[in-house]
Amino acid sequence: MSRTPGRRAALALTGGSLVALLGLSACGGSGFDDGAATGGGSGDATGDGELSILIGSSGPAETEAVEAAVAAWSEESGTAATVTVAQDLPQQLAQGFAAGSAPDLFYVSADLFQTYAEQGSLLAYGDDLEAADDFYPALVQSFTYEDQLYCAPKDFSTLALEVDDGAWAEAGLTDADVPTTWDELAAVAQQLQTPDRAGLTFAPEYARAGAFMAAAGGGLTNADQTEATADSPENVEALTYLQGLLQDGSLRYPADIGAGWGGEALATGAAAMTVEGNWISGIRTDYPDLDYSVFPLPAGPAGPATLTFTTCWGVSATTGDADAAVDLVDHLVSAEQQLAFAEAFGPMPSVQSAADAWREAYPDQAAFLDGADVAQPVLNLPGASDVVADLNAQLEGLASGDPAGILTSVQGNLEPVVEAAGS
Amino acid sequence: MAAAAAPAGGSTARARPAPAPRRRGGRRSTRPGARAEGVAGWLFVAPVLVLLGLFLVVPIVMALWVSVSDWDGIGSPFAGDVGFVGADNYRELVAGGGLATQDFGTALRNNLWYVLLVVPLQTAVSLGLALLVGRAALRGRGFFRTAFYFPSVTSSVAITIVFLFLFSSSGVVNRLLALLSIEGPNWFADPRGVLHVLLGAVGVDAGPAVLTGNGAVGISWWDWLAGPSVAMSALVLLAVFTTSGTFMLLFLAGLQQVSGEVLEAASVDGANAWQRFRHVTLPMLRPTLFTVLTLGLIGTWQVFDQIYTGTQGGPAKTTVTPAYLSYTTSFVSQEWGRGAAIAFVLFAIIVTLTVVQRVLLRERDVPLRRRWRGRGGGGVGTTGSGVPAAPGAPGAPAAVTAATAPGATSTGGTR
Amino acid sequence: MTTTTSPRTTTEPRPAEARPARRRRPLRRHAIYLALVAISVVYLFPFAIQVATAFKTDAQAAEDPLSLVPSPATTAALERLLANSDFPLWAANSALVAVVVTTGRVLFAAMAGYALSRLQWRGRAVVFAGVVAVMAVPQVVLLIPKFLVINQLGMYDSYAGMIVPLLADATSVFIMKNFFDTLPVSVEEAARIDGAGVVRTFWSVVLPMARPALVTVLILSFQGSWNELSHFIVSTQSPELTTLTKGVANLASGALGQSQQFPLRLGAAALMTIPVAVLFFVFQRRITATGEGAEKG
Repeated sequence: MSRTPGRRAALALTGGSLVALLGLSACGGSGFDDGAATGGGSGDATGDGELSILIGSSGPAETEAVEAAVAAWSEESGTAATVTVAQDLPQQLAQGFAAGSAPDLFYVSADLFQTYAEQGSLLAYGDDLEAADDFYPALVQSFTYEDQLYCAPKDFSTLALEVDDGAWAEAGLTDADVPTTWDELAAVAQQLQTPDRAGLTFAPEYARAGAFMAAAGGGLTNADQTEATADSPENVEALTYLQGLLQDGSLRYPADIGAGWGGEALATGAAAMTVEGNWISGIRTDYPDLDYSVFPLPAGPAGPATLTFTTCWGVSATTGDADAAVDLVDHLVSAEQQLAFAEAFGPMPSVQSAADAWREAYPDQAAFLDGADVAQPVLNLPGASDVVADLNAQLEGLASGDPAGILTSVQGNLEPVVEAAGS
Repeated sequence: MAAAAAPAGGSTARARPAPAPRRRGGRRSTRPGARAEGVAGWLFVAPVLVLLGLFLVVPIVMALWVSVSDWDGIGSPFAGDVGFVGADNYRELVAGGGLATQDFGTALRNNLWYVLLVVPLQTAVSLGLALLVGRAALRGRGFFRTAFYFPSVTSSVAITIVFLFLFSSSGVVNRLLALLSIEGPNWFADPRGVLHVLLGAVGVDAGPAVLTGNGAVGISWWDWLAGPSVAMSALVLLAVFTTSGTFMLLFLAGLQQVSGEVLEAASVDGANAWQRFRHVTLPMLRPTLFTVLTLGLIGTWQVFDQIYTGTQGGPAKTTVTPAYLSYTTSFVSQEWGRGAAIAFVLFAIIVTLTVVQRVLLRERDVPLRRRWRGRGGGGVGTTGSGVPAAPGAPGAPAAVTAATAPGATSTGGTR
Repeated sequence: MTTTTSPRTTTEPRPAEARPARRRRPLRRHAIYLALVAISVVYLFPFAIQVATAFKTDAQAAEDPLSLVPSPATTAALERLLANSDFPLWAANSALVAVVVTTGRVLFAAMAGYALSRLQWRGRAVVFAGVVAVMAVPQVVLLIPKFLVINQLGMYDSYAGMIVPLLADATSVFIMKNFFDTLPVSVEEAARIDGAGVVRTFWSVVLPMARPALVTVLILSFQGSWNELSHFIVSTQSPELTTLTKGVANLASGALGQSQQFPLRLGAAALMTIPVAVLFFVFQRRITATGEGAEKG
């Protein structure tokens, strides 16, 4: 004698919610099938006339400079634009790409460029740039994928040796003592070392140690990135040299001396010398009294060498404001604007027409620009950043580790990456 | 349904009145409002059902699909061009031999040591605290309870920041150690494995070839035996600090159930304090112990917040855990399939360990019961049988509250 | 009741035998108190240091981390925190999310718990089993998938995406259901006889009786949503939606080119702890009650 209306209602409700559940997920899915990124919440992907810009800043100096430049352009062009500083640029970009709400304009470092280009996340606007012919060829090369220039290099930096003038004088050293070979560097670092201050410091990462590998004649790959050479004897020589410095105590990592990075260690007096790039000039914002000199990195067994870093202005492939974005980029890479950036936080202009003006304005930083001639670019193959991250992790334990073993494992990780890129 | 809900250790003497007999049997349909009740039942539970379905069930299904597909992060995972790759992602993780395997093996090793240290420590510490605080005639008990529980209330982010400060190279801990003439390590920047350091102190600097030459999941046995790194040890201390309060409350609730009469009888029979503890208190605490261990295992295998805030996997990848690796693999390296695969392997590990632990703890029920035959041993019948699979402790609702607090809700306590 | 000292097999209290023990007790009690005080110091010291350091200068924090008295005491770090970061915005976001999530969870859990405990409807057992099963799923497994679902539903990077997924909590349902099970049926029956419908019975009769459990769920929900981190990481990207946990976590991992400003970070950590601490102290009796309070229902 059971009544069914209650049951029917219950069944209907259950069935209804299940259908709704499935429908919701399916509907959301098909929305993306069209390829149009309409699901994103922040509306960046739909041309709303406002530009969102995401940068990975090296400090307050850079942030202010970029904001000022963008604001000036906004006033002139009438298009609103907001600059956001990323906490973790690769992660935020990855999340943005997956959600279809990537910012319109963002920094793309050379080592991640190919990954994004291959993915289809970048708009290839190189041909629309006014200054396309003015860029250094090497930089253009870093941002070309499948024979297309994707984005405009915004500047470039090289590594050099920065020395605290006060510590230098204290140790009784003069201009003649500036190290030009590895042995001299080791000796000077020993001399500058005191119980409270390390002689030399730089972060345990490929982005610093790689300069020494290059100076020894090695490198992670060959010149055109078709062969992995991580375990070459030259690299082993370089890492063994660094290990010697670590074991002497003349080289110490910033974390071990209470600093976040080499520049901070120099500024707080935790170290007398550091290896950093152009961005170190931004340290003067927090430490205006710091006096330091810039010298080229000492030459290794194979001669002088350094690393060069560059970043480009990436435009999202799904942006609705491509024209405005490219116009902004034109403004930002113009010679005048780049010289303004150089003044604020130090990098070198990516356009050749500005080179002389830069050299004139900053004669004491000539070492950075000179390094461009002997600079090795960073790896930019897809998947290489993970291999480099692993190398960085192993470098943290270099003092007690085995250089050959470290490099062999890196070689093992790098070979599949190089192979995949070649195919 | 009533059985599953019956708290086995019912502290409520007035218990539940017999479930309204009118509701059983076939009289239901003749009660006025039965239909309305049926509909209401569904309506009342609908919001929770929809939400849990949408945000727990559907995500799992979706992640399962992503883990067996080659979705690259752009567009929908269900779009037409996303292919099925079978167990490739899983194979790459566990047997591939490349960087992915090494990273996964390192993450597993780090988390394994973390679990091995944290779970026993937090259980022992919280039990000890409960025994101290639970004594009958203690003044200021409320104050002590509050003091020990307070760290569990704070956010894991806040506590991690405090610990980063305390354990910095010239921080509080190292200053205190200096008072004892010990030079403290640069805690969060020290990647050396603790076991390796200890072995190095007795002269063993490198492992025997059989250990360094062979390995599992991409890293050598010698590296598996490195122990937690110094940085990880600081995180272990952090975990014990934040979770001991919560588990202390659970043990306190459990101790309430330990019959004073049985303890008295035991002391009459000549058992000293330690024997009373081992043979009476501990067995009666079994359900609580089980809960604490389960919650501990579930929580420690998922540690993420502290890594994200404090070390980001460093130094030298010694604080990377599978949870954090899953996050970085997907959200930074954009290898969504592999990231999802890591999450599911982690899920499998947690479930397996929980089941294993449950089996292990249930077996010894019978022998112990025989030991205190007739001495209130029958009262030990609360062990094992009625414990639900979910992390809900038998006992008063307040105890259930405290028990489930660190479980599925993200209080940051056990994470 | 005086007893002799003859051996017994019953369990009556025996003061005669207890007397020797009482002589030993003061020493033991002192030792226990000492231990407890020492351990309390260890547990509370980090928080004292945290508050003290928030008022120190960067230099003093580095030189003299142990001292609990900042000299000179300065609010510079806190001022910098409020000026240079979006701390007030983060606090507002956290508050909004916590309040909405707490209200929602309490309401939905009460409804669902009541339905699972008191109402008769088909599928009740299955749904309850499902809730219990869902409680066993570890949170970390859901990190990536929740992002995928939020994305597909178009809720990414919005308040909806932050709030709605947090409203689903099987534990609260479990707590409420268990509590309702312990309530006497008589009051409800009386209400039914008087002609009250299900909704009315629930709202006016049963809910008021459920206050202890509701408060418990409220506390747990507020604490859980205020302290939540991983969900906010995956569900948002705009700076305007940053909550306290995410913002302070990013402060801690530090921006490139910045020094480790401990007073600022510790100050941020201390400020973000205040609301949960206040809630904790107000309700601490209930939270730390070890079963005595529960019997009162």
